[in-house]
Amino acid sequence: MLSLIVWSPLVGALIVLMTPKEKVRAIQTVSFVAAGVALAASLTLLLNFDRGSAAMQFVERWMWIPSLNVQYLLGIDGLSYPLVLLTAFMSVIALVGSLGIKERVKEYFFWFLLLEVGMLGVFAALDLVLFYVFWELTLVPMYFLIGVWGGPKKEFAAIKFFLYTLSGSVFMLLSILALYFKSAPHTFDMLELMKPGVQSLFDPRFQILAFLGLYFGMAIKIPAFPFHTWLPLAHVEAPTPISVILAAVLLKMGVYGLLRIAYGITPLGFAWFLPALIVIAVINIVYGALCAMAQTDMKKMVAYSSVNHMGYCLLGIAGMSATGFSGAAFQMVNHGIITGALFLLVGVIYDRAHTRDVSAFGGLALKLPVYSGLMAMTCFASLGLPGLAGFISEFMCFLGAFSAWPWPTAISVVGIIATAAFFLRMMQKVFLGAFNEKWAGMEDMTARELISVMPLAVVTVWFGIAPKWPLDLMNKTIEHMLGK
Amino acid sequence: MIEHAYLIPLIPFFASFIMLFGGKEDPHSNMPWVGIAAMGVCLALSVSVFWGAVTGTVALPYEHNWHWFSIAASIAGRSFVYDMPVGVLIDGPAAVTLVAVTLVSLMVQVYSVAYMHGDVRFKRYFAFVSFFTAAMLGLVASSNLLVTFACWELMGLCSYLLIGFWFEREGPCEAQKKAFMTTKLGDSGLYLALLLIFAKVGSFQLSQIYQFFDKGLMPATIATVIGIGILAGAAGKSAQAPLFIWLPDAMEGPTPGSALIHAATMVAAGILLVSKTYFVFLASPTAMESAAWMGLITAFLAASMALVSYDIKRVLAFSTVSQLGFMMCALGAGGFTSGLFHMTTHAFFKALLFLGAGSVIHSVHTNDMRQMGGLSKKMPLTFLTMLIAVLAIAGVPGLSGYYSKDMILADVWNHDHLMFWILLCTALMTAFYMFRLFFLTFWGDDRDHEKFHHAHESPALITGPLVVLAVLSAFAGAGLNHDGLVHKLIPKPTISVMPGAAVAAPAHASEAKPEASAHQASTEHHDGHLPAWLHMTAIVLVLGSITLAFLMYRGPTYAAADAIKANLGPVFTLLDRRWYVDDFFYALVTVSDKVAALAFWIDANVVDRVFVDGWGLLMRIFAQISDAFDNLFVDSAVDGVGGLGNDLGVGLRSLVREGQVQEYLMYAAIAFSLAATLILTR
Amino acid sequence: MTLAHYLTVASLLFLIGVFGALTRRNIIGILMSIELMFNAANINLAAFERFLHPEGVAGATLALFIMTVAAAEVVVGLALLLAIYRNTDTAYVEDYNLLKG
Repeated sequence: MLSLIVWSPLVGALIVLMTPKEKVRAIQTVSFVAAGVALAASLTLLLNFDRGSAAMQFVERWMWIPSLNVQYLLGIDGLSYPLVLLTAFMSVIALVGSLGIKERVKEYFFWFLLLEVGMLGVFAALDLVLFYVFWELTLVPMYFLIGVWGGPKKEFAAIKFFLYTLSGSVFMLLSILALYFKSAPHTFDMLELMKPGVQSLFDPRFQILAFLGLYFGMAIKIPAFPFHTWLPLAHVEAPTPISVILAAVLLKMGVYGLLRIAYGITPLGFAWFLPALIVIAVINIVYGALCAMAQTDMKKMVAYSSVNHMGYCLLGIAGMSATGFSGAAFQMVNHGIITGALFLLVGVIYDRAHTRDVSAFGGLALKLPVYSGLMAMTCFASLGLPGLAGFISEFMCFLGAFSAWPWPTAISVVGIIATAAFFLRMMQKVFLGAFNEKWAGMEDMTARELISVMPLAVVTVWFGIAPKWPLDLMNKTIEHMLGK
Repeated sequence: MIEHAYLIPLIPFFASFIMLFGGKEDPHSNMPWVGIAAMGVCLALSVSVFWGAVTGTVALPYEHNWHWFSIAASIAGRSFVYDMPVGVLIDGPAAVTLVAVTLVSLMVQVYSVAYMHGDVRFKRYFAFVSFFTAAMLGLVASSNLLVTFACWELMGLCSYLLIGFWFEREGPCEAQKKAFMTTKLGDSGLYLALLLIFAKVGSFQLSQIYQFFDKGLMPATIATVIGIGILAGAAGKSAQAPLFIWLPDAMEGPTPGSALIHAATMVAAGILLVSKTYFVFLASPTAMESAAWMGLITAFLAASMALVSYDIKRVLAFSTVSQLGFMMCALGAGGFTSGLFHMTTHAFFKALLFLGAGSVIHSVHTNDMRQMGGLSKKMPLTFLTMLIAVLAIAGVPGLSGYYSKDMILADVWNHDHLMFWILLCTALMTAFYMFRLFFLTFWGDDRDHEKFHHAHESPALITGPLVVLAVLSAFAGAGLNHDGLVHKLIPKPTISVMPGAAVAAPAHASEAKPEASAHQASTEHHDGHLPAWLHMTAIVLVLGSITLAFLMYRGPTYAAADAIKANLGPVFTLLDRRWYVDDFFYALVTVSDKVAALAFWIDANVVDRVFVDGWGLLMRIFAQISDAFDNLFVDSAVDGVGGLGNDLGVGLRSLVREGQVQEYLMYAAIAFSLAATLILTR
Repeated sequence: MTLAHYLTVASLLFLIGVFGALTRRNIIGILMSIELMFNAANINLAAFERFLHPEGVAGATLALFIMTVAAAEVVVGLALLLAIYRNTDTAYVEDYNLLKG
């Protein structure tokens, strides 16, 4: 079943490749079917997913390269399953947003589906080599998607994104190889590597080094200070649906890797790094919010708010408590949904006005009530208003970190205020005040745009009011992770 | 009925969504009646709960919880799954507050039907009001601190929406942002307090937290920090010093909305929160004292600012701040009952004042009191109801404000004499500025003929709520005070063991309990009334300041006031600039903007340079080094081998005449023969 | 008549062929010399079969193959020669320098 989820976009991608490029409709249909199959399949897993178990489920294991003991090993648990769901869901949403792409449609959808394969694979893979392959597989499509369909500085942004993340993952590869050679018998199997018997082979010094390599690769993806500067540029230049995917899924790969691999396999290295991690988390939160405050470009502002929100994830992780871990896991999902919606909404206004400068607008709430309402809701969700998705997870992250790090957590609260400040300011400048007559001809949201945003808005409210369902998915796994 | 208490917040919540999404945006929409009907049902429910509490047929506190969600938690090394509850906790104060809130909200909504009629976003306004009330009711009734905080934040959102209701104009936009940010600033303190509570107690359920405090398990220092955090939150929401700056600006919203904010919902929330977590303050005398002083300073500052303002709504706003200071001071001084009592009576007369002011503004289309005057002739009903409200807030005997304020003063007198005198002084200022407002607006002759000429009494939908509220303002105090009802309904909570006691003598904790509570009970019994002479003096002084206001402001001109103003210029400037607190916060905003710009500059020019460009540079240096190595050694070795072959070939070629097949053949034959010879002769 | 006699004749024939191929100026002559060398090889094959493996037919068969190949080779060679002759109007090999690098 997992293979079906992971590979169905690839099948779609191959079919797209074989379709003549004039048949835009057919290409779009195929892409939707492929992504839809992945989503449907991941949803059907819900029926059989055992919430009471912390073990890996739906495991698929075949030998891939026997001479190196590399396996084709897929499996999900409470940590990865929500992210698989998120990926499949956000891909469909982003595909709806991609219907507006008019040039080189065939290539676009091909790369998009390939990207989805990579993302789903990262969350489902349990073999380090497989994981690494999928991890790198996301890079190439992303490079082309930014570099071809992006904004004015797209080539620069694409190259910066590609090289920077690649340089990080090279260190990750080093660590993976080191783990392989240090383990006996040599294995890339994550589950194997987490077992106490294998763990005892890794002395603290080795774990620290291995952790640093892994962390370097993941910190760039997260992005954690000071490796975050690729993000605003990539976000600003990427086309809207790709920004959505970038924020909603790609950043999560870093945090997921940190929890699953770095914490799971090199716990001593992780523990050694904690004091630095909390500092990084606080910097991400406060500094990210401050940088966002200084922006006038809406997309850049949202991008920096991502830095800020990933800081909450790091904060939760740094707390090393069950509350913090599940807060971080939940925050990943919520951030994906909320920021995805924010990027879609910013894209809506950019499509109409071809500018994202906040001071270019004014009083749009008079003319575009639906758009303004959705945007306001999403902004409030992002700044952590109770009743919307962000609040509970953010609070859990703080709660999880507070007992271990009271002072850094207290400082991080400043980030909440700054977040509120820049979102309110943005809303005031764009939506409130006197109507800017320049945009008199502007239309409210179209059906396609509503279809892409509404599901996100619904989930935002749902997770905000009744977070029981997603939390129950994760709880057992998180408990188990910390129990050992 | 009480088992259906959870409906009280839920009904207006759903009503607001029906109003927001149902029907078309229409200036004459009938949707508002949905909200009014919903609020009517809530009022009926609340009254039944209240009546049950009064007659004793309902046992309070009533608590019922449902499961919300579960999180894995670990407190002090103990790991467990915490089941977050969501539920209702109706105790005496909640029963009283529910009635006050639903009643005021209902009145405000009825009034708004007339007041807001014809506004383009007519329907939306009612949705906001309903949502606002729902959030407040949720806060009052919630049994869980996290839910309380959630409602608290939602109220922040609602105030944001209501204050900025007319967002086309610059003023409301600035005001709404200011309100949200200022309260958010305070909320961060509350946020930390919540974190600290959970980190220590491992629960958000109020009754469990109370148990924890009751047993004296919370260290006093932690309790103090929690208390200060809660106070910060309360200072934001309840507009206490120094975070009161948002409330005077909040009048940019529609006047009935202001009435709701000032009387029933937003500002009462802070006081209510402190009362809900009163055990924290009982455990920490420092926090208690801070609350008292914060309230006192707020009351005094706000009253002084109200003295000089000419904007009718602004005077009312300052008076709200000041009255909230009274309540906070009372809570801090140990007057739990009196503080909440005053909150209830204040809800009625402040709503009345705002709605009355709204009626006036509706009629003369200005906020400036200098353009009013003599309106008693044109608007008799508004005039009469306002008179009752002004008498009530001034504390004239017999009306509701008198009872509650008297009780506060008595509690403060028992707590600290210095505080008492400052507070009395503030009470006198209250009487003065309220009557100043009253005389400027209604008394004497008209100052602006144009405006006066167009003035008219408001329609029944406006005056009706005024009358209802006037009746309540007049009699609620006496009614609640009758036979010690308020003490019965709102008993002061106690904690059995002070922090530290349990640690010092854990074995005796259980024995010490009855003794300690008996001690608490005796102290409570002790704070009766003011000494009779003081009581009389206070009443006389209040009447005196009313007379002073009459003398200064009865006529069309107010030369005496101007003369004082001329002589005390700097003081007036100080008050007019609101003690420069606003400027302080504006400076703070400017500074944080500068910091933000600096942070971004660093990001773009330092972090990006060092970690991206620097990384790239490092790679390029490596690349250049390896390139040089490649050129110098590796490549030249390759070239060398190739060159050797080349030279050899050229040398050989010079031996032959090129292109002659037979020559090639001959060489081949020679070579073959040589090879054959070599092989054969070996 | 022993094997040596046959081999002597064959080697003489071969050497004549080599000498001719190296010295004849006319390209037809060179081709004829090459045929001589082929035939020398054929004699060898026949002789080896007769004296060393009289029970088999491998030598004769191989000789027949060589003759066939030689015929084919001559066909190709003459065709090439004709093509060259048409282009250069000469049959003397010292005038050909197409292989000059």
